[in-house]
Amino acid sequence: MSVIQLTKDNFKEKVLDNSNVSLVDFYADWCGPCKMMAPVVAEIAEENPQFTVCKINTDEQSALAEEYSIFSIPTLMIFKDGVVVDKHVGACSKADLLSKLNNA
Amino acid sequence: MERADIAIIGTGPAGVSAAITAKVRNKKTILFGSNNLSEKVSKAQEILNYPGLPSLSGTDFSMKLKGHMDDMGISAIEKKVSAVYPMGDYFGIQASDEMYEAKSVIIATGVIHGKPFSGEKEFLGKGVSYCATCDAALYKGKITAVIGYNEEAQQEAKFLTEFAKKVYYFPIGNKKLELDENIELITEFPKAISGNDKVECLITDKNKYEIDGVFILRDAVAPDQLVSGLDIADNHVEVNLMMETNIRGLFACGDIAGKPYQYVKAAGQGNVAALSAVSYLNEIK
Repeated sequence: MSVIQLTKDNFKEKVLDNSNVSLVDFYADWCGPCKMMAPVVAEIAEENPQFTVCKINTDEQSALAEEYSIFSIPTLMIFKDGVVVDKHVGACSKADLLSKLNNA
Repeated sequence: MERADIAIIGTGPAGVSAAITAKVRNKKTILFGSNNLSEKVSKAQEILNYPGLPSLSGTDFSMKLKGHMDDMGISAIEKKVSAVYPMGDYFGIQASDEMYEAKSVIIATGVIHGKPFSGEKEFLGKGVSYCATCDAALYKGKITAVIGYNEEAQQEAKFLTEFAKKVYYFPIGNKKLELDENIELITEFPKAISGNDKVECLITDKNKYEIDGVFILRDAVAPDQLVSGLDIADNHVEVNLMMETNIRGLFACGDIAGKPYQYVKAAGQGNVAALSAVSYLNEIK
């Protein structure tokens, strides 16, 4: 599966009401470590259909960034049953992120 | 940008020594720091125990290191590193507004004196940031404070004014201050950062300021904040005799790797760290 681009309109449907574990990558186009993280997030989406993998552009979706208190990007948030169960601020390896998802 | 073999952070005797050995071993190396080298070295009164260089002043030692670097064609990228991200088979290095990549990293940033502010670690990523260039855009319309330790911090504060509604500037030991007119200078000493689940207040020795975020801009970022998951003991990065840390491909040397704080020990450890990085590069080939 590919990475789903989220907006305030589809966030509830794709993440909060989703029975899958979801990964949300808060990013912006100007952010270096976000660019480094993008292929990792895309690979996870391709290889793990059991997870819903999404991204949110914090410049365009400032209300969501505000709601989830995003102060630094990339912020990688893991949701399960509509709540945040894990969070990582900054880029990280694919193995680390997968282990967080598998433990969710 | 092409991925380097070894990235070295710090231009004191440990970092310079590591850079020299890496160059001798013909590795593609990037060095972060100052081409005038560490200020701490030039300020040293007299060095008596560096073999081959008897009774040496700090300024002379600094010039000799610089001369050695010049001879070998080594120069430093003069940017402050605010984060190192272990990505598995490589490291991402955030230096001011740019990203660099390297297969291995040597941290030689020296020991950081002074304790963190109360609340600083607790609110990191929740309104405390070490890089205005990286996070400023997330503070659109917000009230922010900068605790600035150097001239570069003044530039970062200026950048922040493009986004934040308000920027307070708290200088720490600055000699020269040239602040943008949109920045409010406050010469009080910050004591603590407080809030509930995010930063709400900066408390000084005299007042309390309501803020949404605070940027603490020191000369170097503390090692456990620089690399997430790095093992620290007693304010030093934990290393073994090969200068390996708990993160594969990441090495530390010099004062940051522990006492004694001696130039000859720092230079020796820089050499070991570079050789260990070379072995690591051979292993992962």
